[in-house]
Amino acid sequence: MKHWLEGVSQLFLIAFRNLLTHSRRSLLLGGAIAGVTTLLVFLGCLSSGVKATMIESATTVATGHLNIGGFYKVTAGQSAPLVTDYKKIEEIIAKTLPDLDYLTARGRGWARLVSATDSTQVGIAGVDIAHEPRLPKVIKMEEGKLEDLAKPGSILLFESLAQKLKVKTGDSLVFSVLTDRGVNNTVDVRVCGVAKDMGMMTSFNVFIPQETLNQLYQINDSATGAILVYLKNMNHIPRDMDLLRKALTGAGYTVMDREADKVFWQKFDEVNREEWTGQKLDITTWEDEISWAMWGLKGVDGLSYLLTTILLVIIAVGIMNTLWIAIRERTREIGTLRAIGMRRRAVLTMFVMEAFCLGAMGTATGALLGSLLAVILDTLHFPMPPGAEMFLMSTTFHFALDPIRILGGASIITLCCTLVSLIPSFKAARMRPITAMSRVG
Amino acid sequence: MPQHAEKTAIVSIQKVVKEYHLDKVVVPALRGVSLTVRQGDFLSIVGPSGSGKTTLLNLIGCVDTATRGTVMVDGQDTKGLNDRQLTDLRLHTLGFIFQSFNLVPVLSVFQNVEFPLLLQRKFTAAERAQRVDELLKKVGLDKHTQHRPSELSGGQRQRVAIARALVTRPKIVLADEPTANLDSVTGENIIDLMKEMNEEEKTTFIFSTHDAKVMSHANSVIRLADGKIAAGKAAAGRH
Repeated sequence: MKHWLEGVSQLFLIAFRNLLTHSRRSLLLGGAIAGVTTLLVFLGCLSSGVKATMIESATTVATGHLNIGGFYKVTAGQSAPLVTDYKKIEEIIAKTLPDLDYLTARGRGWARLVSATDSTQVGIAGVDIAHEPRLPKVIKMEEGKLEDLAKPGSILLFESLAQKLKVKTGDSLVFSVLTDRGVNNTVDVRVCGVAKDMGMMTSFNVFIPQETLNQLYQINDSATGAILVYLKNMNHIPRDMDLLRKALTGAGYTVMDREADKVFWQKFDEVNREEWTGQKLDITTWEDEISWAMWGLKGVDGLSYLLTTILLVIIAVGIMNTLWIAIRERTREIGTLRAIGMRRRAVLTMFVMEAFCLGAMGTATGALLGSLLAVILDTLHFPMPPGAEMFLMSTTFHFALDPIRILGGASIITLCCTLVSLIPSFKAARMRPITAMSRVG
Repeated sequence: MPQHAEKTAIVSIQKVVKEYHLDKVVVPALRGVSLTVRQGDFLSIVGPSGSGKTTLLNLIGCVDTATRGTVMVDGQDTKGLNDRQLTDLRLHTLGFIFQSFNLVPVLSVFQNVEFPLLLQRKFTAAERAQRVDELLKKVGLDKHTQHRPSELSGGQRQRVAIARALVTRPKIVLADEPTANLDSVTGENIIDLMKEMNEEEKTTFIFSTHDAKVMSHANSVIRLADGKIAAGKAAAGRH
């Protein structure tokens, strides 16, 4: 093993020094690899940033890490997104999940919000602010007080929506909604505070007290829209989802089959077509609840993978071409080394190592540059162009460093560089030593 | 030769024919050469360009195979060996000295000489260093161990090549026109050095040359012409 390592380290030395000897060529190709890696890492950081913003925004405004929602049907063709007698379900959740951080019940609604000058459709979260420990931590108030949301008839909205409706703290607004009973209802509310935007979701979502929501929809206090479950570790979501499904089924509840990437309001048609009446529960993840908004994130990921693939192909051609040149230039050296007793595998290793070194140095530089660029741009809080706001669900560019993603991307590029070098390296390894000998006769 | 008869045959070539194919034309390089080289010989192969000197060395050096006939090196018929066995034979039994030195340009003098020992994977770092240092001292390059080949003169580079060829203590060293790229004084010094190694280590040297001065150092001379031995093995003048 020791002898093998010494031999390999000598091959590594030859490979590395050859790269240094042909510095211009190495710099050009290494620079190209670094450029592609920078792009991949930069776009990856943007994607991670968008995802982080979405998670924070979504888990504040619209969803828990897990949600126990469902539908209540009085008749077969008429459903309401309600969970009745939810306190019992809360008890089951608390007993079932070992890493539960906290849970809270929230009403859900979708209504027209009317100000003196404008109106718009908004998503409504009916909250009991005393049981929302996360909200004071993540919501930053622009004006007013978050605690005032405890007062019946209050409303908290975010700055972009407040600007659109031209309202500030203390102003009155009116909700107008068609209830589940099929009648129009209105409720007056007063702005208790305006919070800073947290991504695009906050531009069309508001908070009101649970009882005000119940009043708006004319439902009783034992019902809620969904129970939002927050875990200490988000990695446990799949496991905890299974635990909850088993526990609730065991307690006699009917739990709907999982439909990934579908938010509750996308299920109305299907539920209304079904014959059953009464209560069915539906367990969803935060990703399911904002799946309708994930296309922007998927777009960034798709774009980065597409660009990287195209550029990788160009680099692969570059690496192969460079190695062909190197092998042609060093034919005599290869023949000499074969003549003095180097095996074919060692020749192969020598050239593959050269590509690996180039790839590793290029990707390391690129990963560093991409991360640095992302960190700098993140601190500058560049505003997003209006067209991109909806696409990326954020009003400013946010970049997040994801070490696993950065390392993974850099490793894949290095691996690609190494793999494409196998073709010319095999050719070099197959070369007969006579090639060198014949040059000196 | 009575003194040769007592020595063991290290290379035995019987009726060797080597033909090269250039498109549809067959070019004969060797036409039925038979030759025996004994251990400890200091043999010179001479002849004009195209006479087959390099081809003969290539066959003995196991870097090429004969079209017909038998090439035995250290008791092994090279025709029956696969690539790995031929590589091992070259690594453990043969040493090569090239006209253009053929050193690895990115390695130092020490690393170039040490390289075949690393390929052998038999010696510790200390053993390798001891052997390399000894040889570099013998060839007068112990002050240049860390230099790169490009920092040395032609004569010094060929000395490195000699040290590299001898570092594994091979039974045979093949040198293809080792003095062709050197001035006459340096060339003669190189041949003297090879001769010294031949006498000290009892290593068999087979080298090709055009140079009459160089061939005068050889114990035996083989003259090739048109792929055949033109004149038999003969003792050379000086020894």
